[in-house]
Amino acid sequence: MNTDTKQILTSDGIPLEKSLKKAERVNKIKAFLLVAPLLLFLIITYISPIGDMLTRSVDDKMITNMLPKTFKAMEKWDGQELPPEEVFASFLSDYKILIEAQTQGKLTQRLNKEKNGFNSILKKLKRKMKSFEEGNTKEQIMLVHKRFADVSYWRAIKRTAPPYSIAKYLKAVDMITDENGSVVKVEENRRIYVKLWIRTLEVAFFVTLFCFLMGYPIAHLLATIPMKYSNLLMICVLLPFWTSLLVRTASWMIILQQQGVLNDFFVLIGLVSDDNRPEMMYNKIGTYVAMSQILLPFMVLPLYSVMKTISPSLVRAGKSLGGTPFTTFWKVYFPLTASGIGAGSLLVFILAVGYYITPELVGGASGTLISNNIAYHMKQTLDWSFASAMGLMLLVGVMAIYWIYNKLVGIDNIKLG
Amino acid sequence: MKKISKLLLAISFVLSITSSAFAVTAVSWGGAYTNSQKLGYGDPAAKKLGFPINWVDYSGGLSEITAQKEAGAITWDIIDVYAMDTINGCDEGLFVEFDFDKDFGPAPDGTPASKDFFAPMPSKCAVGNILYSWNYAYNTDKIGSKKPKTIKDFFNTKKFPGKRGIYKGALTNLEIALAADGIKPGKGGANIYKALNTEKGVARAMNKIKALCEDPKGGCVFWSGGAKPPELLVSGEVVMSTGWNGRFFNAQMDGAPLAQVWDGQGLDYQYMVVVKGGPNEADAMKAIKEMMSTEGLAGSAKHIAYAPFRISSLDIIAKGEPWYKDGKTNMLPQMPSAKVNTKNYFLVDPLYWADNGTELGEKWEAMKAGLK
Repeated sequence: MNTDTKQILTSDGIPLEKSLKKAERVNKIKAFLLVAPLLLFLIITYISPIGDMLTRSVDDKMITNMLPKTFKAMEKWDGQELPPEEVFASFLSDYKILIEAQTQGKLTQRLNKEKNGFNSILKKLKRKMKSFEEGNTKEQIMLVHKRFADVSYWRAIKRTAPPYSIAKYLKAVDMITDENGSVVKVEENRRIYVKLWIRTLEVAFFVTLFCFLMGYPIAHLLATIPMKYSNLLMICVLLPFWTSLLVRTASWMIILQQQGVLNDFFVLIGLVSDDNRPEMMYNKIGTYVAMSQILLPFMVLPLYSVMKTISPSLVRAGKSLGGTPFTTFWKVYFPLTASGIGAGSLLVFILAVGYYITPELVGGASGTLISNNIAYHMKQTLDWSFASAMGLMLLVGVMAIYWIYNKLVGIDNIKLG
Repeated sequence: MKKISKLLLAISFVLSITSSAFAVTAVSWGGAYTNSQKLGYGDPAAKKLGFPINWVDYSGGLSEITAQKEAGAITWDIIDVYAMDTINGCDEGLFVEFDFDKDFGPAPDGTPASKDFFAPMPSKCAVGNILYSWNYAYNTDKIGSKKPKTIKDFFNTKKFPGKRGIYKGALTNLEIALAADGIKPGKGGANIYKALNTEKGVARAMNKIKALCEDPKGGCVFWSGGAKPPELLVSGEVVMSTGWNGRFFNAQMDGAPLAQVWDGQGLDYQYMVVVKGGPNEADAMKAIKEMMSTEGLAGSAKHIAYAPFRISSLDIIAKGEPWYKDGKTNMLPQMPSAKVNTKNYFLVDPLYWADNGTELGEKWEAMKAGLK
């Protein structure tokens, strides 16, 4: 292009390019202002809580600030045998300062979480230390309780020294840093999380599969039968969707429990004997049944909206070209619904991975998932940093699934309607 | 018309604000228990003091109040908590520390409050409310001709096949497992806690529960709310269930065919705390003084079979028998502290649970998750 092409000017002498940019800028600001409330809303309710979760899951500064002298004295200690006098003395002086500020309770709670048994010995130390004599702190502290003479308690204190730690993430996969600093598996009778992660994925996968197997024919029927029937059928799909989750879960409890409706029916028709009723509730079966029913509409609706757009003439064309009904379905119809299957499966799977209330109510011991354990740590142990760590892992997991899906199928292929 | 409805809306809004500003919010476990507290001492205290006391339900634990404090919006004034939680909450600085003789009135005969309580408090923030029991019950219509009598029978699936209702957490389950496994509780359960202080003892208790839950003739249904055990028993979902004696008693009074077994019961105390920096701390202190008085505590026993924490309250009940609200049931034999019920029992040790609760909880959850 010729470089000295004259600039096009607008009627008031400003270059057109500039004037256009100006007009566009105003539009851009307007557009931004329009989305600003939503953006703000997202930042406040979504981004910042996730950020908070992230910092909470690794932040361990509180205790670092509470025992500054102790940790300094511990730097030289190798953790093999009981720490030297210096460590005991600095611990006592740190502890004294905390007692004066009346914040020693927080230390007790934090250390008791690191290793159980600190609670009572620290309280005992608080009572006994008033009568301590100058010097020889190590002996005097060790006399307070035999646990103070146990090196593993001092190692536990040392473990809490760094202001940031990934210990919670390790714990979430049943790992722990041992005395030598290497990462090892926790003892057998405390391993639980790997089991729960696998179970969560397993339940989510099978619930998705069941929803697909049940939802596909329904959606097909909905899309192909005449309008006046399909509307009625649609209401049958939507009505449970509009019913409260708790109500639906509770109804499943009534139906499936051992003395429930279904079992009564089985006994009535002589399928099972009265004292040998099968267990369908408070275990994995209950979780599968209730969750599949509750999540079914999330599969049916995307499938239906995709199937609705498939012209019936395509199937007819396939048949007229000599295909059997199965070949026509498999070669023509099924590939056309793939985008709906993708959307439905992704929706159901992601919802199922984080499901909480249904497994809590109907899952019993063998049907509870990782989300129930997150709630347990939020509510019972108050170990919020651990709950945050698991929550984040769940989030990252879901994002990974999304990413894999995008790589394999392509997210643009998803169709919700 | 529109104007009037707007006005009404405004008035109700103002009213709700002002009434909540005066009211004291008390939080408890719901159901028959909260009902006994509200009717027994909540409402009389509110009437006397001239401000309402609102009752809110929760399912235990310190998570809600901790969250309220972190968010800087505390809405609870008084909470009914486990002993272990008073210790932990007091440490965290969540609750007000009491000066017992100053903050609570003396007994009618002049005994100062601190001498009138059944037992020493587990922390300075706790005031004793009731003495209750973790015992178990069965459905008399469905159990058959043989009746369970001991804690061993609870674990005996050969003699009594069927599922068992069990508390969702480790608390008291480990104790009864050891009691049923042949450890004599000793004075207040000292032998049991001595055993539980060793790894071997804990493993032994866990295995006992695990065996019960995995037994094809047994099996476990875990309960969390106090209303659930009677419900599980009445519906026939389980043959026996542990639970809180007051809930069983109230179900019995409502006509449910239940019978309680007191052998190997876990005696436990329940406490009240006042939230530090709560919305209405000054009134809350007045309210708790009134509610935890001799008459107040005796009043709640009119509605549920829990023993009041004050010795002087028992005298009132003894004089007033039949004390139950129906006017014909004697209350004292129904209490967990009654002589006939305390032949073989243990006292739930709050210090043990405050020390070991998290670790045992982890092991317990791991055991539960691994159940077949």
